[in-house]
Amino acid sequence: MPKLWIDDRPVEVPEGATLLDAARKLGLDVPTLCYLEGCHASTSCQVCIVKLVDLNRYVPSCGMPAGEGLRVESETPEVHHLRRTALELLLSDHVGDCLAPCYFACPAHMDVPRMLREIGDQDLQAAMATIKQDIALPAVLGRVCPKPCEKSCRRKTADGPVEVCELKRYVADRDLASGDPYVPVCLPETGHRVAVVGSGPTGLAAAFHLRQNGHAVAVFESRARLGGRLRYEFPDQLPEDILEAEIAAVLGAGIDVHLESPLGDALSLDELRNRYDAVLLAVGVAAQQDAARWGLKTARRGIATDAGTFQTAQSGVFAAGNAVRGKAMVVRSVADGKEAAAAIHSFLRSEPIVPVTRPFSSRIGKVGPDEMPEFLALADSAPPRVQPPDASDPLHLPIVSQQADRCLGCGCVAHGNCRLERYAIQYGAQPQRFEDGRRAFVQVNREGSVIYEPGKCINCELCIQIAERAQDALGLSFVGRGFDVRIGVPFHGTFEEALGSVAAQCIAACPTGALFHSPLHQRKRAPTDTP
Amino acid sequence: MSTTEIELSFVEEAVRQVGRGPESLIPLLQKLQEHYHYLPPAALQRLCQLTDISPASIQGVSTFYSQFRHKPAGRHSVCVCVGTACHVKGAPMVMDALHSELNLEDGEDTDAEGRFTLEPVACLGCCTLAPVVQVDETTYAHISPKTVRGMLRDFLSQNGQARPAAAPSGSGLPPQGEIRIGLDSCCVAQGTRKVHDAVARALAESGAPAEIKHVGCVAMCYQTPMVEIVPLEGPAGLYVQVQPDDALSLVLKHFRPPTLLRRLKYATQSWLDRLLMDQDEPPALRRAIDPRDNRICEFMGPQKHIALEACGQINPTDLDEYQRHGGLEGLRAALQMTLEEIVAQVQQSGLRGRGGAGFPTGIKWQRVLETEADEKFIICNADEGDPGAFMDRMLLESFPYRVLEGMIIAARAIGAHQGYLYIRAEYPVAVKRIRQALEACREQGLLGPRVLGSDYSLDLHIMEGAGAFVCGEETALLASMHGRRGMPNLRPPYPSERGLRGQPTLINNVETYAMAPWIFRYGAAAFTELGTPGSRGTKVFSLAGKVVRGGLIEVPMGITLRQVVDEVGGGVAPGRSLKAVQVGGPSGGCVPARLADTPIDYEALAQVGAIMGSGGLVVLDDTDCMIDIARYFLRFTQDQSCGKCTFCRIGTRRILEILDRLCEGRGRSGDLDRLEQLSQDVCAGSLCGLGATAPIPVLSTLRYFRDEYEAHLQGRCPAGRCQALVAYKINDRCNGCTLCAQQCPVDAIPRTPYRRHTIDLDKCTRCDGCRQICPESAVYVE
Repeated sequence: MPKLWIDDRPVEVPEGATLLDAARKLGLDVPTLCYLEGCHASTSCQVCIVKLVDLNRYVPSCGMPAGEGLRVESETPEVHHLRRTALELLLSDHVGDCLAPCYFACPAHMDVPRMLREIGDQDLQAAMATIKQDIALPAVLGRVCPKPCEKSCRRKTADGPVEVCELKRYVADRDLASGDPYVPVCLPETGHRVAVVGSGPTGLAAAFHLRQNGHAVAVFESRARLGGRLRYEFPDQLPEDILEAEIAAVLGAGIDVHLESPLGDALSLDELRNRYDAVLLAVGVAAQQDAARWGLKTARRGIATDAGTFQTAQSGVFAAGNAVRGKAMVVRSVADGKEAAAAIHSFLRSEPIVPVTRPFSSRIGKVGPDEMPEFLALADSAPPRVQPPDASDPLHLPIVSQQADRCLGCGCVAHGNCRLERYAIQYGAQPQRFEDGRRAFVQVNREGSVIYEPGKCINCELCIQIAERAQDALGLSFVGRGFDVRIGVPFHGTFEEALGSVAAQCIAACPTGALFHSPLHQRKRAPTDTP
Repeated sequence: MSTTEIELSFVEEAVRQVGRGPESLIPLLQKLQEHYHYLPPAALQRLCQLTDISPASIQGVSTFYSQFRHKPAGRHSVCVCVGTACHVKGAPMVMDALHSELNLEDGEDTDAEGRFTLEPVACLGCCTLAPVVQVDETTYAHISPKTVRGMLRDFLSQNGQARPAAAPSGSGLPPQGEIRIGLDSCCVAQGTRKVHDAVARALAESGAPAEIKHVGCVAMCYQTPMVEIVPLEGPAGLYVQVQPDDALSLVLKHFRPPTLLRRLKYATQSWLDRLLMDQDEPPALRRAIDPRDNRICEFMGPQKHIALEACGQINPTDLDEYQRHGGLEGLRAALQMTLEEIVAQVQQSGLRGRGGAGFPTGIKWQRVLETEADEKFIICNADEGDPGAFMDRMLLESFPYRVLEGMIIAARAIGAHQGYLYIRAEYPVAVKRIRQALEACREQGLLGPRVLGSDYSLDLHIMEGAGAFVCGEETALLASMHGRRGMPNLRPPYPSERGLRGQPTLINNVETYAMAPWIFRYGAAAFTELGTPGSRGTKVFSLAGKVVRGGLIEVPMGITLRQVVDEVGGGVAPGRSLKAVQVGGPSGGCVPARLADTPIDYEALAQVGAIMGSGGLVVLDDTDCMIDIARYFLRFTQDQSCGKCTFCRIGTRRILEILDRLCEGRGRSGDLDRLEQLSQDVCAGSLCGLGATAPIPVLSTLRYFRDEYEAHLQGRCPAGRCQALVAYKINDRCNGCTLCAQQCPVDAIPRTPYRRHTIDLDKCTRCDGCRQICPESAVYVE
């Protein structure tokens, strides 16, 4: 039983154990990508690196025998720096988007590819639920949004973007027209009470999301009707009946409304603070003038708030939307409402408020015309349609579905389940640190049931090893040498032949999204009868 | 030829000859390639059926080694050496010129007619003759963009013509002396073969009673072709830079033709020649050198030959002659000792591994000796691949018996009965000589069941590499010997515990073994008298680059770099100044001129940021750009990375990209810090020695020449080397002779007779041709 020290903590492990085993015995979360229990340690990814103090040498812990008396460092800034560099180097050669470009373009970060997939499957209820997770007013936005998502759509430069906004509107309109619009399942009552001042897009969205979290919400509106700037800013685009219907759907979750109740002499901020556990000021651009009267500091465009947490200088008082920004897209206000609701939710639970940050993602970036066919091959080749879909006519659903299937599905299949992504987040790795050009996006075996994306492969060797042991598999090998080494099937075989009965095992072992089941083979689709 | 038409019976033949186990894969592929000139898919599939080798192995291995081709090649291969010395002397321009001469598109390597396949080769080991191009088996030295066309033409005209066989001496009389001619790869490249043939013809015609003797490397590469004439009676003569036309007069100077008639004939002829040519002396005499000549004395003066003993004097494959020069005395002495005594002797000598890292040889032997096992192996690592280094090739070609003797001593010491020499694929002559030497050793009882009559048995075999620099790393070498991709493994386990076929294995470099016979002949104490306390003995270097007298040298450790450059090498060319010495090849660093008094020993070199390495010394002068040098090495190591671990596979690529940006004037702010940090991280995080030392050329140049890096960041190349940062221009000295316009390979100079010419910088490839040809020196670089 060798005894050794990791970060000055003694640990004893059985003969034949590795430094990784020893570190894990101590409960250390040493990151690994190429290592899998039961496989030979290929010691290639080098993210499990540790330092041998006496030799002043760094070694991969997964392959290094735990020797008697070794002194090892694992959780030190020096070791972490090298692990981070290894992750950043891997990311610099990673041709993949963890999250699709439209995710980042949409201020509300709606899961666009998922909505489109659901529309493609003609499951409009699921699509509606997906939309409403992030967007409280989809029918409104379907008419007034300047569509940043479509501007970032990868398909835009090829044959026009997927019409995300129109498709979302179709789903929302069908939902409103159904007579039984979508109402989210609200969590049990928390007993907390929140006052939302203002009923524009920010206020309505915040009320919607707060209510979903089980809080009692009261909306205070200075005018006689709800809607704030939505009532007057878009006279041509936004029909009144749509606005009414969508507000009604939001209120359907059980929200108190106080009309003609401006914040002022009759209703002071202090009074609201006394009566409610939290107050959100979503009063729009007018806040700039009134803030001082309410005893709040102002910034250049509106009420001064703490960056990313929506907190004003007064405890329990939050501000969001144009009350802070002065002027912004409606979708930005809807996003603010959602994010402010999350901040208030944390506040009410006495949890620290985590500022809103951009989530981590590897990014493919610009796609040249040469590469475009490779992306287009992933989706329906239908051209963009000419007529706008009409929600009242259910016969159009197949067309809508086909349009949704134009989505290239840019996000990664392994998102949320990828070890490279996980450790990159954990170690604060910057994917762009070593950026200088990239290899082309390629998919191998696209016609088959298993797809290989060499751009995401980190040469961990696990699929090679697993296939080598299978009786019925042709096997895989590394091909080439140096920077361009990737996996290949001998004698131009298919991946099905290469992996035989262990395909699922190999896919499960893949530390990234380089090897995956073809989505086309997985999806059980309703037959589309295109006119 | 389509794959279906290929006759596959040869595959069966190859399997019969080589074997069907996984270890046979590389030799099998080599056989197939030799036969088909590439690896036809059908042949590989057949190979799969006939052996125990999996399709995945065949694919993995055949795509790893650069020797293997998957596409049919042209009838002749044109290998452009891109080693360090060739690089600094203009190999990239030669490559470009050949590319356009053969009308190749980007990405193509074979011309439309299928005559030539153009390929860069890491190093042909002829550094002193740079730039070097090898067309099939013929090596051409000092090639420039101007001479590539002539070279190809010469090759095509020579090709297929049988060389005149060396005629026996015409007189039938007993030889009255010998004519020594070096026939190592690099001597041949310099034209020695033609001189040899001319001498043979001269002997045949004149009937002069002399014998030609092939000797190994003469080490004075700058003086080749060299002929040494040693008559039994009368003065000897050493002739340098000999031309074929000189052969007859050389022969006649030392040997009298046997008949009066012939003597008269030659006397008349030479008198006539002198009359017609207006020459006072036969031509070769002007190039005769007395061995006591000053320059030769200087070249030889500071040297001490142990590995190179009897350099240029003995026939490499003649075992008897080797013994007459003290060969096998060391082995005989060692065979009288116990295993422990042999190891102790090596430990006392202080010998350290000459392959690069300098690990104490005695300790390595001790470890293998101590490890208990039924079977142990010995391997000679002859996968020398450092661009700018050719010591090992020369030792194998010129002193095969010395290397083998050292190996036998080592094998005896550790108790191995089987051993291998892993020899680099690019060294065909070395393989041939070792093969001959092994045969002779078996015949004369040096190898076999009873080595020199003792009860010790040993046999040695050759394994040819297949073109992968990384296989010089010992765990990668073992992977390769096991028939796998040459990818290194984490050590431990070290080969001394688990090596070839899982058994304890001793792996030393060629030069290390070549030192052993001397140590056992003269004793460890004699060895320790040479060198410094930490670095005993001598070290062989290939001295090349911007130095007057390049060659293969062996100097005692502790000598300073300045002594080597100035005394042995004769300094840099007149008018130029020494800038730095690149020591240790792609793993080494650049020692700046101001630190030239650094002694050559392991620790002192490490202290200044270089390493001993395997022994490349490339001298750089003020026209060399240090970023270009760093980039050159990174390009090499990056290309040679096996691709296994993240730091080496991607890290070296990212380092290279930053260097590319700097050399092309696209540097970004923060690039120097990023470069330095990443270089340090790649050193720390790489799995094997290749990655761990690859950034050293960058770190050492950053350390000593940071101002040059800063200049590149601002878009300037102070040495005027980086093509994107310099412009060729023509000043008003131009008289409109149009020579430059005719010379320009890309028509960047419009022909304007009698008027000043101009250069279209967008078309200009900076090949330097116009500047070289201008009779008025009107072309300048800005």
